[in-house]
Amino acid sequence: MILTKDHIGGLVFLGVSVVYGYHAGQIPLIPGDEFEPFNARSLPTILAWLCGLFSLALLASAKQDSNKRLRLLGYDFELVGKLLVLMVLFGLTLDWIGFLLSSMLFLIGGYWLLGERRIKTLLLASVPFVFIFWLVLVQLLDIYLAPGRLFS
Amino acid sequence: MLDGIFTGLSTAVMPFNLMMVVVGCFAGTFIGMLPGLGPISAVALMIPITYGLDPSSGIILMAGVYYGAVFGGSTSSILINAPGCASTVVTSFDGYPLAQQKQAGKALALAAYSSFTGGTVGAIILLFAAPALATVSLSFQSSDYFALMVLGLTAVAAFSGKGQVIKALIMTVFGLMVATVGSDVTSGTPRFTFGSINLIDGISFLLLAMATFALTEVVMTVLRGKHNEEEPDMDMSELGSMKLSREEIKEIAPTVARSSVFGFIVGVLPGAGATIASFLAYGLERNLASAKEKLKFGRGSLRGLAAPESANNAASTGSFVPLLTLGIPGSGTTAIMLGALIAYGIQPGPRLFVDNPDVFWSVIISMYFGNIVLLILNLPLIPYISRLLVIPRPILIPLILFFSIIGVYLVSFNTFDIHMMVIITVVAIFLKLLDFPMAPMLLGYILGGLMEDNLSRSLTIYDGSLAFIWERPLTLGIFVVAIVVILVPMLAQLRSSKSVKDRDTAVSTIGEGEG
Repeated sequence: MILTKDHIGGLVFLGVSVVYGYHAGQIPLIPGDEFEPFNARSLPTILAWLCGLFSLALLASAKQDSNKRLRLLGYDFELVGKLLVLMVLFGLTLDWIGFLLSSMLFLIGGYWLLGERRIKTLLLASVPFVFIFWLVLVQLLDIYLAPGRLFS
Repeated sequence: MLDGIFTGLSTAVMPFNLMMVVVGCFAGTFIGMLPGLGPISAVALMIPITYGLDPSSGIILMAGVYYGAVFGGSTSSILINAPGCASTVVTSFDGYPLAQQKQAGKALALAAYSSFTGGTVGAIILLFAAPALATVSLSFQSSDYFALMVLGLTAVAAFSGKGQVIKALIMTVFGLMVATVGSDVTSGTPRFTFGSINLIDGISFLLLAMATFALTEVVMTVLRGKHNEEEPDMDMSELGSMKLSREEIKEIAPTVARSSVFGFIVGVLPGAGATIASFLAYGLERNLASAKEKLKFGRGSLRGLAAPESANNAASTGSFVPLLTLGIPGSGTTAIMLGALIAYGIQPGPRLFVDNPDVFWSVIISMYFGNIVLLILNLPLIPYISRLLVIPRPILIPLILFFSIIGVYLVSFNTFDIHMMVIITVVAIFLKLLDFPMAPMLLGYILGGLMEDNLSRSLTIYDGSLAFIWERPLTLGIFVVAIVVILVPMLAQLRSSKSVKDRDTAVSTIGEGEG
């Protein structure tokens, strides 16, 4: 049996509909709401059934075509993974070391990951850029940016 | 109506709003030129900026970005054969061969004139069609709205392309599911929050739009290794003259006229949008051409370039009709604008015409200004704007990532949103690898709250009965159209396995860069 993109997608969303449907049944209702024609559970329940139905339709209509297989060769998952980790780190450091420093580090890290190695470019494309952007935000737009927990 | 036009005119000609049109067109042109980033991403990137503006200025800026992005997409199609978005794919069919014949200047000028005419014709029709439709839709009730939203969502799924209808339907439902996260509007009960206080208000529209379009598109570029590609080599001295001869104008005038009207009509249809309009207009023009003229198509035909350019701009204008009059977005980009309007506390739909005439009319008037800006400012500056394309990808990509992330952060000041963006991006990449379209998901998400509200009201009025579907002829009529819209492509798919090649390409790309 050939597992195509449609099969994988259908199975994934079938799982999503089951989990979503289960949690839809767990939504707390305010007293008396269960007798109302429409309550907080109504739409989620309909959606869970619809998603399940469409997923089954996708599974049923999926053709056994080897061209439709999920091919992951040639994709640079490692680099994308590193970029995503960099974004997570940016989120983590923003509160601690503040906007200026974390943004500069994020940009330098991003340029570095994508292959830029010239120190001059790394610094010129990050430090002045972030500083000007910060000035615009703080001075022109009057947005308060916390200096970071480590510096306050 | 005249009062409204003057209100819109006075709002649109305010120096700040005029500046927004200019800034929007420039920013849109630049973003639209970047391969992979289309109007949806361009408009999404602008949302954080618009939050600091008043509604009229914000929407004017986004409308300018929309036009600019479509124009920018045409520019990169013509100059480097790399369409910035799906709606300008057809432009490259004849635009790039013209550039190869050292007539890039003429091709760019023709694209700009055609876009201008298309946009102008679209804006004029919109000027009359929108208020008329808004007046009619004032009599709509909640059940009609619910039916309209079902129609909008099914239409988007139906136009998603061959073999994609079920996937688009799943994504629409998925978007509706995402919309249910957070407190229930009527009872205040938390739903799918899993005890997290960060999810009580639900997943923000901005976050979802940025993560699924701006971030995902950029990360997909890296995933495919396109960040390593050489920057396009463009010799601006070889642009050639930007002038068109009288004979050439005579030749393309009828093409531009019919493609504009045709594009507008296609754009009005929910879910169709600029991509389908440009492909259909190109096909129509080729069919109308003489046997001798037909041979020129694909080899630098002026008519082949003018048709899609007029149609995609007119369709972009047309897609504002359902947004402004019914509150139903006609395309992915207008869906994002709908979300932005809702965030402003403005409810698009027939009441917009009555409650916020300044927004309604200033958007329509500013569209025309946008076209003028593109023609008189962007066109002469194209050789300079396109130099931005040579910014190395390793520098450009982190900058776009930075703007996407910080745009979301500066609205909420909550770093949880950054982590949420990363999670949504990972999910979106996975779904894109499985060929699931993103636009229906965003449309489902945006219409989710409104749909639930109208369904709840209809059911309450009818005491829990579904009779509202068949007791009101208007509701029934809209539901019938929705069923027909979804069944026709499914039946067509079953009946015929062979279809026109152009149509295939058009439908397989719609949904992502679709205007």
